[in-house]
Amino acid sequence: MEFFLQQTLNGLTLGSVYALLAIGYSMVYGILKLLNFAHGEVYMFGAFAGYGVLTLLGGPASPVVPVWLLLILMFLGAVVVSSAIGVGMERFAYRPLRKSSRIAPLISAIGVSFFLQASALYLFTAGFRTYDTPKLIDISTGIPVGPIRVWLVRVLVIVGTAVLMVVLTLWVNRSRTGKAVRAVSFDREAAEMMGVNVNHVIVVTFLIGSALAGIAGVMTALVFGRIFHFMGFIAGLKAFTAAVVGGIGSIPGAMLGGLLIGMAEAYTTGYISSTFQNLIVFGLLIVVLLIKPTGLLGKPQLVKV
Amino acid sequence: MKKGKRRLLLNAVILVAVLGLVAAACSSDDTSDTTTTTAAATTTAAETTMTAAATTTAAAETTTTEEMTAVVCEATIGLIAPITGPVAFIGEVQRNWAQYAVDVWNEGMGWDVKLIEGDNQFDIAQSATVAAQFIDNTDILAVVGPAGSDQVDAAGAVFDAGDPNLTFISPSSTRIGIAEKYTGMLRTVPTDADQGPSTAAFFVESGATKIFVVDDQSSYSTGLADVAIAALEAAGVEVSRESVSQDVTDFSALVATIADDTDWVYLPWQVAANGQIFGNQMAEQGKNMPIFGSDGMDSGDFTIAGSIIAAFAGDIAGIPESVPLLEGFLAQYPETNTFGPPVFAAVTTELEAIDALCQSGNELTRENVLGAIKAINRPASILGQPISFAPSGDLIGGRFFFFEIQEDGTKTPVGG
Repeated sequence: MEFFLQQTLNGLTLGSVYALLAIGYSMVYGILKLLNFAHGEVYMFGAFAGYGVLTLLGGPASPVVPVWLLLILMFLGAVVVSSAIGVGMERFAYRPLRKSSRIAPLISAIGVSFFLQASALYLFTAGFRTYDTPKLIDISTGIPVGPIRVWLVRVLVIVGTAVLMVVLTLWVNRSRTGKAVRAVSFDREAAEMMGVNVNHVIVVTFLIGSALAGIAGVMTALVFGRIFHFMGFIAGLKAFTAAVVGGIGSIPGAMLGGLLIGMAEAYTTGYISSTFQNLIVFGLLIVVLLIKPTGLLGKPQLVKV
Repeated sequence: MKKGKRRLLLNAVILVAVLGLVAAACSSDDTSDTTTTTAAATTTAAETTMTAAATTTAAAETTTTEEMTAVVCEATIGLIAPITGPVAFIGEVQRNWAQYAVDVWNEGMGWDVKLIEGDNQFDIAQSATVAAQFIDNTDILAVVGPAGSDQVDAAGAVFDAGDPNLTFISPSSTRIGIAEKYTGMLRTVPTDADQGPSTAAFFVESGATKIFVVDDQSSYSTGLADVAIAALEAAGVEVSRESVSQDVTDFSALVATIADDTDWVYLPWQVAANGQIFGNQMAEQGKNMPIFGSDGMDSGDFTIAGSIIAAFAGDIAGIPESVPLLEGFLAQYPETNTFGPPVFAAVTTELEAIDALCQSGNELTRENVLGAIKAINRPASILGQPISFAPSGDLIGGRFFFFEIQEDGTKTPVGG
């Protein structure tokens, strides 16, 4: 029982990070039908921004502000930087290609991904940085869940992600801008004709998706420690998988897909072997797509004939 | 909140974020300095240290420096390293140490040696491409690199086909038998034939009966794990083995599978920062058994107190003759790790061989350079051991050293 609980917790933590990242993929695909392959790099820059704020405010061993305030500022810093990169990407790399073929923005996205990786390598060098979180929040600090003790940082990640997902869902369903996002995602031309400022909606979508990626970056670094210029590549790939499994274009689907992928990784490692982790995860992708090509919560697209 | 105050708050947050990004760019991880001597602080001190290092190199690394400074020669050395890509943290340090070796040599000997970098991105195909480029560049007399054994195989095949006389000294490939596959290959590091059995012997002597081994799916790691496990099982030790990619950042699921009665966790990993995460997650889950890391974990990124790590050589910070060199390096470059000093040894070995040819009036051809390097017998080096090569191309007398990491981050020798 203890082992199962531990693996479930591990899967929830990892899945939460994937879910936050996958939401960004889904949101952008939903309105632009674009797979933003640079999304992983936005997450990476968010992690670096958080690290920078941490360093600026004294480091993990001796912060000059209370820990709770330090964490808030780290997340805020990541949100600002990631959002700025996301909005900048949209403005300069994707918007000019909006009227071109579907392949052009895809190639541009790949190019942006490499550009951001190389920029990070140039700015931060290849050396690993670490948040050294145990110095900030002791490993023994946590809450008991049955026979196991859950580190406070993992609680922060899981609860924080759940709160963000609820807030995002409420925003998408209840707010004026959220309605506009849904309208553009459903039919861009019709939404434009109804008076929706499509450009504004697209910018907001990139902003929110990138902000969530930045938050995911800081969360990852807090729990798992190391950040480096290449960290966005694999995380982005897994998050993309999660988005597709859940149903690309569907926000609840992205959340579900992220959690599923995280749990699959944890249970595979725990009950089979870590060697088969990626095999199972990507195998899951294939199986889901064979059974339900639109993903678990994706809706079939209507095509006018 | 009024518009003006909202704008002010937003501007403050943006300012903090931008400053944060700048701070991230300007900062380095403190842990990389924990086991190294403090570097000189000013430019003047750095120049003095570098001059002292050049003098120390000339004195410590050869017995015939005074005799060899009569003729000034020209030479070009090639470096194949993963300067960008997933293990750029290895390549950057290797590049920096190679450049440092060249600078120290030029300063001490009055030469103008050039270093040509070839970035293989730790990719097999790219290694072959760079090897072909270096063959075509006839200025290059000898090469240092590549880093990984798979990359050595790729480049070695090209070198053997294109110009088997072109020397390439790998400063980090430890796979058993690889050096004798290629005519021009040599290495300045011991092999897994040394590290694996030595590690297994350490576990057996410590009374261990159960070991948990995780490889990181690199050729270095799997090869080392294979050798160590074979020796452990032959000694009757129970071994559990897992495998995890270097790209993984979360090991908690794997950590949860470690049995409570495990005596040691053995991580023959290339990425020390991953080892740190693994150790933290072990502590998180109450797994208190000690970690034993291979030489790839010998870095300031891994600081779990009570852990043991293997090293290519004695910690050069503990070798008096090498300390000025280390200080000189750290005065110019932000950080170092275990992959650096063998590069310095490789470059200076090649340059010494070229110098010997030059002084004796022999033509500087790749064939002559290879012959001179194979015959070299350096009584001392930055690694704290002599440098000479067996007919197989392996370093004679290479062995691994073991250190225990203390609470304050320093390392003390143990066993080995």
